[in-house]
Amino acid sequence: MRADEIGAAAAVGAALPIELRGISKSFAGITVVNSVSFDMRPGEVHALMGENGAGKSTLIKIMAGLYQPDAGEILVNGNAVRFASPKEAHAAGIATVHQELLLFPELTVAENIFLGQTPKTALGTIDWTAMRRRARQLLEELDSGDLDIDQKVVHLSVGNRQRIEIARALAQDARVLIMDEPTAALAEQDVQRLMSIVRRLRKRGVAIVYVSHRMPEIFALADRVTVLRDGNLAGAKPVPEVDEPTLVSMMVGRSIDRLYPAKQGKDGDTILELAGVAHRSVVQDISFKLHRGEILGLAGLVGSGRTETALTIFGVTPATAGQILIDGKPAIIASPGQARDLGIAYVPEDRAHQGLIRPQTIEDNIALANLRRLTRGLFVDAAKVAAEARGAIARFGIRARGPEQPVRQLSGGNQQKVVLAKWLATNPRILIMDEPTRGIDVGAKAEIHQLMRKLAGEGMAILMISSELPEVLGMSDRVLVMNGGRIVGQFDKEHATAEAVGTVMTRSYTREQAA
Amino acid sequence: MTAAKLFRHETILAALTVIAMIVLASLSDKFFTAENLLNQGRLMAEVGLISLAMTFVIVTGGIDLSVGSILGLTAILLGVFWKNLGLPLPAAILLAMVCGTFAGFVNGLIITRFSVPPLIATLATLALYRGLAEGISEARSVRGYPEWFFFFGQGEVLGVPFQLWVLGIATAIAAVILGLTPFGRATYATGANEVAARFSGIRVNAAKLWIYTASGFCAALAAVIFVSRVTTTRSDMGTGLELDAITAVVLGGTSIFGGRGTIIGTALGLILIQALKNGLALSGVKGDGTIVVIGLVLIGAILVGALFDRNRGG
Amino acid sequence: MSGAAFSPGRSNLQRFLSGYGQEIVVLLSIAALFAVVGAVNPRFLSDTNINSIFAGNAYIAIAAIGMSMIIMAGHIDVSVGALIGVIATIAGTLAVKGYPIWMAWSVPIIFAIAVNAAVGTLVAYTRIPSIVVTLGMLSILKGGLISATQGEWITNMPAEFMIAQMRPFGIPSAVWFMVALTIIAALFLRYTDFGRSIYAVGGNMEAARAAGINPERTVIGVFALHGLFAGIAGILFATQLQVIQSTVPPNLELTIITASVIGGVSILGGTGTVIGSTLAAILFACIGSALIFLNVSAYWLRAVLGLMILATVLADMVRRRRDK
Repeated sequence: MRADEIGAAAAVGAALPIELRGISKSFAGITVVNSVSFDMRPGEVHALMGENGAGKSTLIKIMAGLYQPDAGEILVNGNAVRFASPKEAHAAGIATVHQELLLFPELTVAENIFLGQTPKTALGTIDWTAMRRRARQLLEELDSGDLDIDQKVVHLSVGNRQRIEIARALAQDARVLIMDEPTAALAEQDVQRLMSIVRRLRKRGVAIVYVSHRMPEIFALADRVTVLRDGNLAGAKPVPEVDEPTLVSMMVGRSIDRLYPAKQGKDGDTILELAGVAHRSVVQDISFKLHRGEILGLAGLVGSGRTETALTIFGVTPATAGQILIDGKPAIIASPGQARDLGIAYVPEDRAHQGLIRPQTIEDNIALANLRRLTRGLFVDAAKVAAEARGAIARFGIRARGPEQPVRQLSGGNQQKVVLAKWLATNPRILIMDEPTRGIDVGAKAEIHQLMRKLAGEGMAILMISSELPEVLGMSDRVLVMNGGRIVGQFDKEHATAEAVGTVMTRSYTREQAA
Repeated sequence: MTAAKLFRHETILAALTVIAMIVLASLSDKFFTAENLLNQGRLMAEVGLISLAMTFVIVTGGIDLSVGSILGLTAILLGVFWKNLGLPLPAAILLAMVCGTFAGFVNGLIITRFSVPPLIATLATLALYRGLAEGISEARSVRGYPEWFFFFGQGEVLGVPFQLWVLGIATAIAAVILGLTPFGRATYATGANEVAARFSGIRVNAAKLWIYTASGFCAALAAVIFVSRVTTTRSDMGTGLELDAITAVVLGGTSIFGGRGTIIGTALGLILIQALKNGLALSGVKGDGTIVVIGLVLIGAILVGALFDRNRGG
Repeated sequence: MSGAAFSPGRSNLQRFLSGYGQEIVVLLSIAALFAVVGAVNPRFLSDTNINSIFAGNAYIAIAAIGMSMIIMAGHIDVSVGALIGVIATIAGTLAVKGYPIWMAWSVPIIFAIAVNAAVGTLVAYTRIPSIVVTLGMLSILKGGLISATQGEWITNMPAEFMIAQMRPFGIPSAVWFMVALTIIAALFLRYTDFGRSIYAVGGNMEAARAAGINPERTVIGVFALHGLFAGIAGILFATQLQVIQSTVPPNLELTIITASVIGGVSILGGTGTVIGSTLAAILFACIGSALIFLNVSAYWLRAVLGLMILATVLADMVRRRRDK
């Protein structure tokens, strides 16, 4: 196999800053990474790609010392190592730029770079002069001399914070830098800046693991690309040898049509219409129509504004401009309660945090969005609540001991069914599903897909947000693509191919182009 | 929340209370007499009323440290409205209670509108309300209330102290609201996971506003009973009462992290504490020694609760 | 970049102002207060009055130093007032009973450190909110104090025990302590790893852990340090008058917390300075004194205090919301 040849050739040369051999990892019996080999050479940018759930994050976390592999070995400079903690990975020269930036908002830029390993004077006290000088030097090297090292981090943009994290990694003499979706939350000019910083790092001999979905960045930056699919190595190639369609097919890999239930019936009237809706500058100028019986897919990368659009429709972050029309009539939605009363349901992406009250029981969770209906006189009708839950357990095939089991004890798929049951019990006409099958095993996934199709067949209008391209393409009757907080593309079923949607999704837009 | 699980803590607590009663009764023959017990009920009413609202507050994951100060402020206002402004006493009572309730409402506003952590918000209003009480009264006490007013704090109905009836009825109402109504459901949901509650269409901020207002109302009601019982108003009334209330609530099994707790538990916690205080006093422990016991009981109860939480897992 | 030595667009003065904004506001308030009240009633500016403002409240400023560290680390302690009372009583009792003076000074301080280290351990490892633990501790200390003293005052302490009344170089030793401890604490917070880890833990506990800091150890250390400052404050409180009462000024802990918060320590942790808290403690003392000289009833002092905390906290929350 080609990838092995590359790895072997490299191993003969200089010692590799990190090399993974036959790494496997499973959680609760499900194999997430299966015998994957991966290596980094000094001074290269190595792109790591794959769909959500392909095993990228697990692989990164193994390198960063957060997880320990079940099988296989990790070598640093040719020596087998075992990272018991992130600290040990740091010591071995492996640093991570986190997506949720780990900084101290009330401390200065300089201190954020050095905290934990501050320069000391002869007396053993912190040498602020040396710290500020070295901080300035580091930022200069990163072409970020414009950053005020005495500024508190709380005032800085995401792009600037990211640069501080990179400087922090350099201050630790990192030889391998893992960047997980570094451009996901960045504005365009920050993306350009980041790319130039990555090139400088490469020149310094730092090996960079670059996780991204955005094709232009991969082709502009990466020397090699490794693609994972369903936890397996789908291929590793030098970037000059691949093109966009090749990469997409390596990632998707299978024929996607047959796995998804076919459309039943026809689209009905327009039920929800957005006209120029915006929330601050997070999402702007969103206009589309959603019809009865339709599944409308909302595609885009993380941070492209999909979830933010859903939250605006659902009244969590009310619209600051534009108009939302329901059945052609303008509606003001200022809270989730109002959205629910208008027949809108939202199955959120973060099940544990937003979807469920995990210590509470199945019946309590289902009742929560339906209290008005389940109340007789002044009191919650306990019998009705229990009956409702028993009905849901039977209807959705929730595997549980009974309505009184706390939901935290259920599997991911069954928890998701409880969220769905809660919202379907409100008799919605518009169902928004944000990452409906994230973190769910294959069987439950298929069941949820069947259910969505059935609901649409009964006249429900469904807006589905998904980061899994095959799911978007397989389930949607129509696909909208978001990028940079705006809708940048629309495809009907026939024209929604992985290549077409993927290209629009991953293209870098300047603000003018997007507008 | 299966019934079996909910009642586990309460059962243990009830057993503990019974044991404490037996031990205390054996230590002093004055303890287990109808007269003493009814008198203890009288003393328990003010903390009791405040603990009921405090249960709701803590179930939402909040805390209200200002209740003692609201009690003091309401008491002072009652005296000032009646004596200095010359209002008829019933009007003075009513107006003072409106002010106390409004103080609670202000707490709620600060917490919901400005997202100030409840701990900090009510710590600040603790100082503010007590300060207002001191400033308005200038350390002068008001006495000489008409005889009929003492009924609230000293009178009896069917041989049972008036305020014990009030506490009993309030406890029943609170238990029904927290246990059986949609509002109670919203309270639990808010404390267990505020985001998920909001995403489920619960009006979280409105619920909190109501609860802090109710907390102010209960403190105001307790103030009227307190003044009537001791026949005078002073600005330091109710100092430290928040501690007694929180102790009772936490001892009653309400999680300090929110999401769990019952009114029955709080009632049992109250009874246990009052029995301990009274029993220890009767067996010769000085009044201030009992404060130490309450502090120890509070820390112990939360410690056990926290360890219990950890074993249950997240 | 040629301007690398300086941050572009911000002069050193601007940087200084933005870094010490709250301290400057407090300092200006003190100056304004002196000017206005002094103009209305010149006796406000008399030596005796200024002396009593500074010397009589130094122990509050010193306790506020420890409290500031606690709040910076994201915690709170409402038992410190009662602790100061207990320390004073232990110290006075030891001194009257004829123990060596150094023991009368050091034993209570060690006791304070031990008590607070225990509180810190409980808070760090059980995750019980510090407010709850210290509320319990408040009641234990308060009840313990009253039952032990039975409300009796301690008098006839030996003269060499009265450290707060000594006047090296003509200035009360309490003021020396206040100034020296503020400077030492400020240097400690700025120039030691432990000092910085307090800010780190209060600012972002998970990030602190990722940076190799042990947050539990930091929290215990902070509480122990706070015990040290409370202990010193307690000794000064014990020795400033000829008697030790069995009670401390009501709501002493609130005054101390308020000094920290108004001095610029954010109640949400992660930021603040001890210079600010000392200045704020002085400001309070001035306000208290000014009320008397302006013939305003001192009974309003606590209401003013409460209003000031509330205003500062609301401003802090509004600022944070705007920063986001």
